[in-house]
Amino acid sequence: MKATVVDYGVGNLHSISKGLERAGARAAVSSNPYDVARAECIVFPGVGAFGAAMQVLRPAIDEIRDAITGGVPALGICLGMQVLFERSEESAGEGIGVLKGEARRLDAPRVPHMGWNEVRHNSDALFEGIEQDTQFYFANSYVCVPTEKVTLSETEYGLRFPSAVRKGRTCGVQFHPEKSSEPGLRLLSNFIRLSEGTA
Amino acid sequence: MISLTKRIIPCLDVRDGVVVKGVRFEGLTAVGDPPELAVKYQEQGADEIVFLDVKASLMGDETLRAAVRKTAERLFVPLTVGGGVRSFDDVRKMLRVGADKVSVNTAAVAEPALITECAEAFGSQCVVVAIDAKKTDGGWEVHTHSGTRSSERDAVEWAKEVCELGAGEILLTSMDCDGVRSGYDIELTRSVVRAVTVPVIASGGCGTVQHIVDVLSIGEADAALAASIFHYDQYSVGDVKRTLAEKGIPVRWCC
Repeated sequence: MKATVVDYGVGNLHSISKGLERAGARAAVSSNPYDVARAECIVFPGVGAFGAAMQVLRPAIDEIRDAITGGVPALGICLGMQVLFERSEESAGEGIGVLKGEARRLDAPRVPHMGWNEVRHNSDALFEGIEQDTQFYFANSYVCVPTEKVTLSETEYGLRFPSAVRKGRTCGVQFHPEKSSEPGLRLLSNFIRLSEGTA
Repeated sequence: MISLTKRIIPCLDVRDGVVVKGVRFEGLTAVGDPPELAVKYQEQGADEIVFLDVKASLMGDETLRAAVRKTAERLFVPLTVGGGVRSFDDVRKMLRVGADKVSVNTAAVAEPALITECAEAFGSQCVVVAIDAKKTDGGWEVHTHSGTRSSERDAVEWAKEVCELGAGEILLTSMDCDGVRSGYDIELTRSVVRAVTVPVIASGGCGTVQHIVDVLSIGEADAALAASIFHYDQYSVGDVKRTLAEKGIPVRWCC
């Protein structure tokens, strides 16, 4: 499986690319939204700001939405999870909207939510082999508020929020699996297996 | 469910592409290759790694960028790089080669708008403002240029200001305690933690595990940075975490 990692022009893409390779995928990086729309598997990485990321994707937003709705596997990480939803309080303008709901500013005494926090999951295939309450690395100021039943896991910080979601082969995680040591690499491997239809 | 864990962050001082140790900037000796040491600490359970370019002038240098790139390919915990970052373009380049966060100090004091510019482009979570603070009568003063120049700014006030400008984290170093190994400046740390709404990493003065316990509990820091206790193999990161867990401080348990 070849996973295309979207390049918004900012941030570290080395760790996610290496993480996907360890998970058995081939990783390619692209900043061309039309390439993204034609990808076999799409990874939306978790660096940057909502508005800037959507600016890169916008020229082919309809094609990308159609591809994901049509079953192309997608994984959104942190900000990448938020762009899968309809909108965000961070910036004006629409998201891809393959998941219903929006991203809202995290209401907690100390923001960003930065560091390792527990993930309580429902034993979905995305979490196969990952123990309950395993800690993953977070670095987020916004959280997703879905309006459909897609939540796989919750994490507590100020409030309980969905730390992972999935609808078919569309997955989103608020934490950074590529920065979460062995459990993170396991999650990436689970995602690739789901994408290949072997999970 | 417990909440967010406290982070233990080994700091690697890098000069000309190699990790060095010594008291602050004097008597430096090479101790190893940045990727090798970073991966060693990752395996011990480090929650994050910090690279600090101690020459503070080589940020554009390909040697440091190559070290960051090589490290990022093998490191699956976050990497912060700092020292000598002068511009928006320096930050962008360092993120591109594999840093997850970039720390700015002198350039932020000289041009506070840089903080906002970086936060808007890369997200606040990438922007760490490093504050080197030195005790004065009744407070602490911010120093720049690797601690050699006073900025005449109050450290607590500056910490509040950088948060408003968009910083996502503060790396707070006590210049009085740094290199002395007799404990972090608890009062400074707590004063900054209570004044701001972003996470604070305490730095400077760590000599024993008890010092880390103190700064995370009494000092209220979100994370503790240490260099020499790890470099001299006095303790492994796992040893530190075991002690913290015994004292009831929430840590990521991985060993």
